[in-house]
Amino acid sequence: MKSVKLGTGLAFWGDSLRPAIDMVERADIQYLCCDHLAELTMSILSKQKSRKPDLGYTTDIIPFLRGVLPKCHERGIKIISNAGGSNPEACAEKVIELCRELGLHGMKVATVTGDDIMDRVDGLLADGIEFANTDTGQQLADIRDKVTQANVYTGCDGIVEALEQGADIVICGRVTDAALYLGPMRHELGWAADDWQSLGAGTGVAHCIECGGQASGGLYSGGWQDMNNLSSLGYPVTEVFENGEATLSKTPQTGGSVTVGTVSEQLVYEVLDPANYLTADVVSDVSQIKLDQVGPDQVHIHNVKGKPAPATLKVNMGYRAGFVGETQFTYTWPDAIKKAKAGLQFLNERLEQVNFKSSATRVEYVGHNSMWGPEVSDPPEDPDIEEIVVRFAARCPTKEEAQKVFTESVPLYNNGPAGASGIGTRPPIKELYGIWPCLIPRELITIKTTVTRVTP
Amino acid sequence: MTVRVWDLAHGRSGDKGDICNIGLIARSDEAYERLCRQVTSQRLRDHFGALIKGDVDRYELPNIKALNFVCKGALDGGGTLSLRSDHLGKVMYTWLLRMELDDE
Repeated sequence: MKSVKLGTGLAFWGDSLRPAIDMVERADIQYLCCDHLAELTMSILSKQKSRKPDLGYTTDIIPFLRGVLPKCHERGIKIISNAGGSNPEACAEKVIELCRELGLHGMKVATVTGDDIMDRVDGLLADGIEFANTDTGQQLADIRDKVTQANVYTGCDGIVEALEQGADIVICGRVTDAALYLGPMRHELGWAADDWQSLGAGTGVAHCIECGGQASGGLYSGGWQDMNNLSSLGYPVTEVFENGEATLSKTPQTGGSVTVGTVSEQLVYEVLDPANYLTADVVSDVSQIKLDQVGPDQVHIHNVKGKPAPATLKVNMGYRAGFVGETQFTYTWPDAIKKAKAGLQFLNERLEQVNFKSSATRVEYVGHNSMWGPEVSDPPEDPDIEEIVVRFAARCPTKEEAQKVFTESVPLYNNGPAGASGIGTRPPIKELYGIWPCLIPRELITIKTTVTRVTP
Repeated sequence: MTVRVWDLAHGRSGDKGDICNIGLIARSDEAYERLCRQVTSQRLRDHFGALIKGDVDRYELPNIKALNFVCKGALDGGGTLSLRSDHLGKVMYTWLLRMELDDE
């Protein structure tokens, strides 16, 4: 039976480069698939692009390719990536420059665009596309003037087109994570664009491997103590067969483990209704998925179904949503908790004195309830507790308001209850972006694929 | 003897906007059946209290003995806006693992 061997190179912007380097040296793969984009990433990238027109892509793609490209070229491994982010053309230019520098002439670099609809939003609104928020039902008009970026989660068509034109490296914008894998599957296995069963099965497989080490022992809660050598974790290497079934393994001589347990945990990660896993290419049904251990570090994936692709595509818009001001401070024995609460009162009073404005605040006691906050429990009044760290954060309308949080906490060092420490140095003020999920009819989106041959 | 969800299952959680999904994977067929009986959407909602503001839906993946809980309004506005240290809901599942089950 025909098959294709896919390697997971990166799972997010900032992910470790070493698993991919180990993989291209030691594993038998034809494609290295790399996801660089999370929900917030597109907002960050569009902000970078607005400041400097040749930025707006995830810059880790360059050191990444520097590490893997010579070996990929030698072994004929193709690279599929969504590092293009908000600016696939600028990204591709840098990649082409790198190919030249490495002397890899003749390589074909493709860009896949068409996901960025920021310039079309008002025209589409005028044409009756509502872009209502799919989570809340709110109308876009509520935040339209704050929107900085609008990208459609696009499918694998552009990647398939690029591969058909012989591309060695494919740089995409906001394609779905699954498309990075489904593209090479469709190209190699000859699946039609409306072969829903195969595409659904392939998408289920893609979901199992798109988060890299999370399928091969990373974060494994079912037995993290049994995972060896996690600091040299191997990423998934997956053989996908023509019938949509697959065998998931990992790079030889690496840490971690591939078991039914590790793959099961990844399967339920960031999934809503498992019978209707919506993507741009297909609706995948993983609700009846079967996973079998077929060898050491080898799990066979089967019984995933597919249904026709949805009539609409998901759009994520990013909008400016204020700033966050943050500080933290520590008190020690004796009476650490009492002092911490007094320190917090000191901070609140000082903020009131400077007419502080915020839309939400949060207090966490680190070491006690930093993950759960006051919704769950107050710190105990234990006079013997060794130390307690207070974290205070606030959502503020402006940068100036957000800065007040740290400024007004600094006097805790000299003027507050006895023995404050650990306030640290002034943190940078973080701008907040809200995500506005909405829909667009798929026929309004046209994907463009461009292939460039690297010349000296 | 107190039986917690953790005695019967392991898990993972993550974010999608202001939705946190929590997956539980049972350690045996019997454990899966008991979790199906006892860990209902309402039971989970009550256990999390104010941490989850919206509805909770439960889905079953019987062949891998997994339950998936989709919790709306569970991340203080979503990963990009949340003031929580756990703004992506990475450890939300551990709060569920601590839940005590009824005797059977």
